[in-house]
Amino acid sequence: MKGWSAGAPAVVLLAAAPLFLAPYATTTLTRMLVFALLVASLDLLVGFAGLPSLGHAAYFGVGAYAAAWFTKNVTTTGPVPLVALAAGAVAAAATGWVAVRTHGVFFLMLTLAIGEIVAQAAETWESVTGGSNGLYGVPATRIGGAPLDVAGVYWYVLAAFLLGFVALWLVSRSPFGAALRGIRDNEPRMRALGYATRWYKYAAFVIAGGMAGMAGGLLAAQQRLVTPADLGFTTAALALLAVIIGGAGSLWGPCLGAALVIVVRDVVGPDIDGHGPLLLGLVFILVVYLLPRGAAGIRVGVRR
Amino acid sequence: MNDRRFSRRGALGLLGAAGAAVALPGCGSSVGGGSGDGGGGGGGGSVKIGLIIPQAGVYAPVGADLKRGWDLWLERNGGKLGDHPVSTVVGDEGESPQTGVPAVQKLIQNDRCDILVGVVSSSTALGVRDMVIESKKLLLISNAGAVDITGKAASPYLWRTSFTNNQVSAAMGRHLASQGFKDAVYTIAPDYAAGAESLAAFAKAFQAGGGTIAGSAKPPFGKTQDYQPFLSAIRASGAKATFCFFAGAEAVAFVKQYSQFGLAGAIPLYGTGFLTEGGVLPAQGDAALGVQTTLHYSSELDNQANKDFVAAYQARYNEAPTCYAVQTWDAALVLNRALKSAGGLDGDSVSKALGSVGTIDDSPRGPWSFDGQSPKQKFYLRKVDKRDGRYVNTVLADLGELARDA
Amino acid sequence: MLSWLDANLVSILNGVAIGFLLFILAIGLSLIFGMMDVLNLAHGALFLLGAYLAWAIAGGDPSWGGFLLAIAVAALVGLASGGVLAVAVEPLRRRGHLDQALLTLGVALVAAELLALLFGRDVRGIDPPPGLDRGVVVLGDQYPVYRLALIGVGLVLAVVAHLVVERTTVGSLIRATVADRDMVSAIGVAQHRVRFAVLGLGSLMAAVAGVLGGPIYGARPGLDATVLILALVVVVIGGLGSVRGALVAALLIGQIESLGRAVLADAASFILFGALAIVLILWPQGLFARQGAR
Repeated sequence: MKGWSAGAPAVVLLAAAPLFLAPYATTTLTRMLVFALLVASLDLLVGFAGLPSLGHAAYFGVGAYAAAWFTKNVTTTGPVPLVALAAGAVAAAATGWVAVRTHGVFFLMLTLAIGEIVAQAAETWESVTGGSNGLYGVPATRIGGAPLDVAGVYWYVLAAFLLGFVALWLVSRSPFGAALRGIRDNEPRMRALGYATRWYKYAAFVIAGGMAGMAGGLLAAQQRLVTPADLGFTTAALALLAVIIGGAGSLWGPCLGAALVIVVRDVVGPDIDGHGPLLLGLVFILVVYLLPRGAAGIRVGVRR
Repeated sequence: MNDRRFSRRGALGLLGAAGAAVALPGCGSSVGGGSGDGGGGGGGGSVKIGLIIPQAGVYAPVGADLKRGWDLWLERNGGKLGDHPVSTVVGDEGESPQTGVPAVQKLIQNDRCDILVGVVSSSTALGVRDMVIESKKLLLISNAGAVDITGKAASPYLWRTSFTNNQVSAAMGRHLASQGFKDAVYTIAPDYAAGAESLAAFAKAFQAGGGTIAGSAKPPFGKTQDYQPFLSAIRASGAKATFCFFAGAEAVAFVKQYSQFGLAGAIPLYGTGFLTEGGVLPAQGDAALGVQTTLHYSSELDNQANKDFVAAYQARYNEAPTCYAVQTWDAALVLNRALKSAGGLDGDSVSKALGSVGTIDDSPRGPWSFDGQSPKQKFYLRKVDKRDGRYVNTVLADLGELARDA
Repeated sequence: MLSWLDANLVSILNGVAIGFLLFILAIGLSLIFGMMDVLNLAHGALFLLGAYLAWAIAGGDPSWGGFLLAIAVAALVGLASGGVLAVAVEPLRRRGHLDQALLTLGVALVAAELLALLFGRDVRGIDPPPGLDRGVVVLGDQYPVYRLALIGVGLVLAVVAHLVVERTTVGSLIRATVADRDMVSAIGVAQHRVRFAVLGLGSLMAAVAGVLGGPIYGARPGLDATVLILALVVVVIGGLGSVRGALVAALLIGQIESLGRAVLADAASFILFGALAIVLILWPQGLFARQGAR
């Protein structure tokens, strides 16, 4: 329960943020929350199941496009994040089965390939995705008939983020999550114990994909625009970077990592003449050096 | 074990707090205030302009040119637009709307700019449209060429001083049809929105003039370094000429390989002006000699305004100007006129004032005017020559005016 | 059949040329991974460094002297960079291969930005040295001589690599390290020397590949990511650590990119990653899965 005592003040602070922050800071915080949910879902894969994915942004994008399309063509109220979650989960289910047959570097490259194929499909399938210009002009989400303003969007995203994060947290604390960590540390042993490890990995992949999709739905609501850049390699790599920086396997560490990445890219980057990636690289190097034991709890092989 | 984790967590928390301190430059309230309404940026009659240009990524060279044109006009005109002293805030558009949208958001919400200028990428321009409309600020686009910006997605707050992709390609389509290439022209452009728009506009104008298209190809955008399969297809198609749309690194690769594979002599290469504009020309070297393009500007244009402009630009930056620099130069020029007669600095007033600016006859590109909020302007046929050891786009002919949806 | 062949023979030849270019590009990465189990994600940045050096030294006025000088300088700078990488990776040697790979990723990000600061953000073109900048008529159409030269260089490199690995003492050490690193360490070969040598050599190859690839790829920001992904695809498909595998994979990918794009014009954008996905689905360990005690 130590988590709750640390978490509760954070939640209160986050909830109160728009009351004392300027509008741009609030939108930046909103963007951080969206990215943090994506990164937390990636942590389920990387930190808990030991599956480093470079294509996770694909499900983020599928959810975002689904939500944007839904908002433009069906309704602006209604359970848009759930639509996005379902879209992400379906996409993950369709591609995850072949992905979890591989390990390590091969899994990394296969997820990269899947991600790039999905991104290319988004660019080419103009009738549905709007092609390289993407889906723009997504109407503002409405709650109770009125469109959400800056603060409203923030609270909407915060609520969804908290729900998603709590869901991920419950999954990680469940026996299923424990089994995942066992598979991460020593898959052959888990198989010897009778676990159908591939099913567990597949389930983790689908859950993570669904959550990434929901994060995508929030992106569509916040940015009101979805382009192929949102599900490309750059987003996936930034997400993985954020997981590593924050410490894989802890769920809330990667959220801080996500906040840091957004700060460097959107806030500090423009002030240093567009050299954000330089700063990010330096931070990344520092983090890798200063981590005392291994990349935040990921273990390859038997724990000593 | 646990305290090690805490030390990193602690450090991370500290880092986050520091970041937060940087990120939250001021208290305020986001509740009940709406987004970016309220007074203009400067006090005492000054105007705050947000210049949105890419400072990093693939389009950074274009962004640098845009900034130079803007800065030069202000320097030579006392730093004022229509009697308002100007302060410019630069926003980094980056490579995609992922960074472009937050950049514009920052300029509107954080820096409280009155007027926005710039934007290279069409997807960013379309992406910020709603934000600009809702905050009632004027966005004067000085590069993005998608037709929809002033077409399907038009709004009184979106004006443009650059071009539409349609215009540039249709100019070449008309020209080639009238030059007797009716037989067969092969078209090729990268597989993305701007490429598709260019080819469609070219085909429409070319076929309207009686031409036939021998074939078409769409190499993957940003992923093609080797054009051999496409060059072979061009050769095999029996085309008498090739029309292409490429920019940046792809323009360099395509033009060089077009020459290396021996097509340059046999099948003349035509393209939109971006193929040979700016930094790509020295990179292409001799491979670009003889390539003919259409564009709304060339540094070799023979009118007084351009002669003065080129001399000033050369003296200040030690290189020849490009169409990108002219586009922001004209943006400043046009805003200067508009702000002299505008009732205020908000989007509605400036938009109304822009509507009554009339013909701009002292622009380096020649006389032009707004037509549906985008320039109706002359297009020039240019050819790449080497003069005094430098590669330039000499002007072969004035192809006449084209409307924005040519 | 004959007419199809006639139409596409140039594409097949080009596929071989591009394949050898990819081999030259990827062999440094394959070597480092094979011997150290570390994915050197700074590989693309080293390639770009070589390309910029080629532009800076031989770009304006291509000549044989300039080109060879560029190769020599790139080799030295590459070797030095490899040494720097080895020193950087040293403190992490107990922490596992993932961390070392992540460090190289951080270095790659920093290096790419430093290159942009040093050489600017414009696209740079590099011309081949005189004699190689012509085209020659092959199979009825003009084909650039430089690409044919690359086939030659790639063949020589492949033969040399094969001979070194199979016939020399150093080669047997390499094979032994790939098979069982701890045993090699147990027979008295200092691990940090091996690390230094491998990273130095691999980085040298990456930088020289940048010079050799310059006339085709040029030098521009973002090229490092493109090249890294291409090299990773080659190395992963071919089986990590196998030079023979890297050659086969490179030729395969060269063919897919050339002939594949010519034949499947509409799906051209999907070909590379589609092929990678198919290979990994069918052979989850790559085409030449490596045996050896781990």
